[in-house]
Amino acid sequence: MNVLLIAHNTFREAVRDRVLAGILIAGLVLLGLTRVGSALAMGEDLRLTIDMGLTVISLLGVLVILMVGASLVAKEIERRTVFNLLSRPLPRPVYLIGKWAGLSGALAVVSVVLGASLAGIVSLLGHPGYVPAIAQATTLAILELALLTSLAVLFSALSTPVLSALYTLGFFLAGQWVDDLRTFAANLPAGLRELLRVLADVLPNLPLFNMRSLAAAGEPTSALHLGLAAGYALLYSGCVLALAAAAFESRDFK
Amino acid sequence: MTIVRDERPVSVREPREVPHPEGLAVSVRSLTKIYRHPWTLKATTGLRDVTFDVRRGEIFGYLGPNGAGKTTTLKILTGLLKPTRGEARLLGRDIRLVESRQDLGFLPEQPYFYDYLTGPETLEMVARLSGLGAREARAAAVEWFGRVGLGDRPRLVLRKYSKGMLQRLGLAASMVHSPKLLILDEPMSGLDPFGRRDVRDLILEQRERGVTVMLSSHILPDVEALCDRVAIVMRGALERVATVGELLQGGAPRIEVRLAGEPVIEWPARFANALQRTSTGGDTALTLHDASLQQELLAWLIERRIVVHSVTPLRTSLEDLFMAAAKDAAITAASTRRSA
Repeated sequence: MNVLLIAHNTFREAVRDRVLAGILIAGLVLLGLTRVGSALAMGEDLRLTIDMGLTVISLLGVLVILMVGASLVAKEIERRTVFNLLSRPLPRPVYLIGKWAGLSGALAVVSVVLGASLAGIVSLLGHPGYVPAIAQATTLAILELALLTSLAVLFSALSTPVLSALYTLGFFLAGQWVDDLRTFAANLPAGLRELLRVLADVLPNLPLFNMRSLAAAGEPTSALHLGLAAGYALLYSGCVLALAAAAFESRDFK
Repeated sequence: MTIVRDERPVSVREPREVPHPEGLAVSVRSLTKIYRHPWTLKATTGLRDVTFDVRRGEIFGYLGPNGAGKTTTLKILTGLLKPTRGEARLLGRDIRLVESRQDLGFLPEQPYFYDYLTGPETLEMVARLSGLGAREARAAAVEWFGRVGLGDRPRLVLRKYSKGMLQRLGLAASMVHSPKLLILDEPMSGLDPFGRRDVRDLILEQRERGVTVMLSSHILPDVEALCDRVAIVMRGALERVATVGELLQGGAPRIEVRLAGEPVIEWPARFANALQRTSTGGDTALTLHDASLQQELLAWLIERRIVVHSVTPLRTSLEDLFMAAAKDAAITAASTRRSA
């Protein structure tokens, strides 16, 4: 199972380069700070703690993707460590999927630890009823990060670390606005409308993974929503990785 | 990696139909690599119409100066570069198939590894990628880590390794899964004389086991000592494939005549063109490039009472032949450019 080997090694890299530890410490500190901020939120402190806590989980994950994911493959090409792998009976698509799975796994571990910490804080505040919604929101954040990681792998396989970080950030920001893009397109002339609709379909539908407001109100989402989000994340990531594999297959390593 | 600029228009000719005989470790047919600049699309030829075979069980040297196309060939064979034209097989399998690398061990020119791993972890990972099971890979990693002389520091991470240690680890990584074919790009690079001797012994030991070795090297005495056959590649094209013996026999024999002191001699025209004179430590060394003049020269010197200390036939080295081939290739290229 070469996918697992590459994934395990990518995970090991994140652990040994102290990326995970750094992000976890930063996350725990920020979760603590949400309590300080919430003290000023007259009566809305619980809502603010959960909302800000979940935002911290998502944004720290995106930061890891921009810092690590965007150079995931490009760095290996630059440092030529890829020579030692691809000169073995390792299909290039398997290598890419392994890299994606490894970083997605590392992000999932960070998200689970931070999500559990947030749930712990909320329980200690005397609101254990909010925990299921926090667990669901954390699951959706993990799916969103896996999808963004696939984009980072695609750009990293084709360009430099800086450019792939910029492209990934661009897709992350644009992906937040796909619903607004569709609304905006409805008021435009036919040609432009279709163009923007296609663009909205191609961009990742990231609002699908955002249930921070629901979780802050302690309301769990439906199983259908979770299922749809998981299916969408897997399908989108699969398509992006297939595109990355097709481009990577013909690439020369000089 | 270095490449050769080729100003000629790129041909779209199909590769010649040359069969791949059975039982070869490597067969290369009309292999061509043309690089295109991503923006200007200007073509640069890295390798032009190269055809050769490596027989099973032999040590095959692949020689050429910097930029000749050695690394390009080896990278195409190992799947890191895609050929523009032509085809190649490793142990009978088309290089376009990932399975062609199943029994292959490859040492890149400068081996690069994950610097956060230890040596045994690196070897275990690459052994597993080459198809060994977990337990088997762990045992092979420990064994090979010791065999290349690194066994005393198993917990050291690679970012703390010296260049020589990385080269040794690279060799171990190429052999840890017991491949049937080894492709080594500059295996002696970065090693001290003891390291070079160890690598030579390791390569000879692999040949004893029946492993085919194809290696490129700049260190020609090592190639001369190790290789059964040698290919010389110049400016992206194959100049010659021959046994080391054939190559050395083909060189013109030379004679060194040592004279006492530094006598003033006025050479007759028949010797002047065939002689090269150098003074060393109060003595004179004459290198006679035409061995047929040896007796005549000695008689001429004795007649003039010039004391001859020694007469030594000089053996042509691979280095001499290599330099001559490089010179010929440069002259041919220059005349091709002029006629174009």
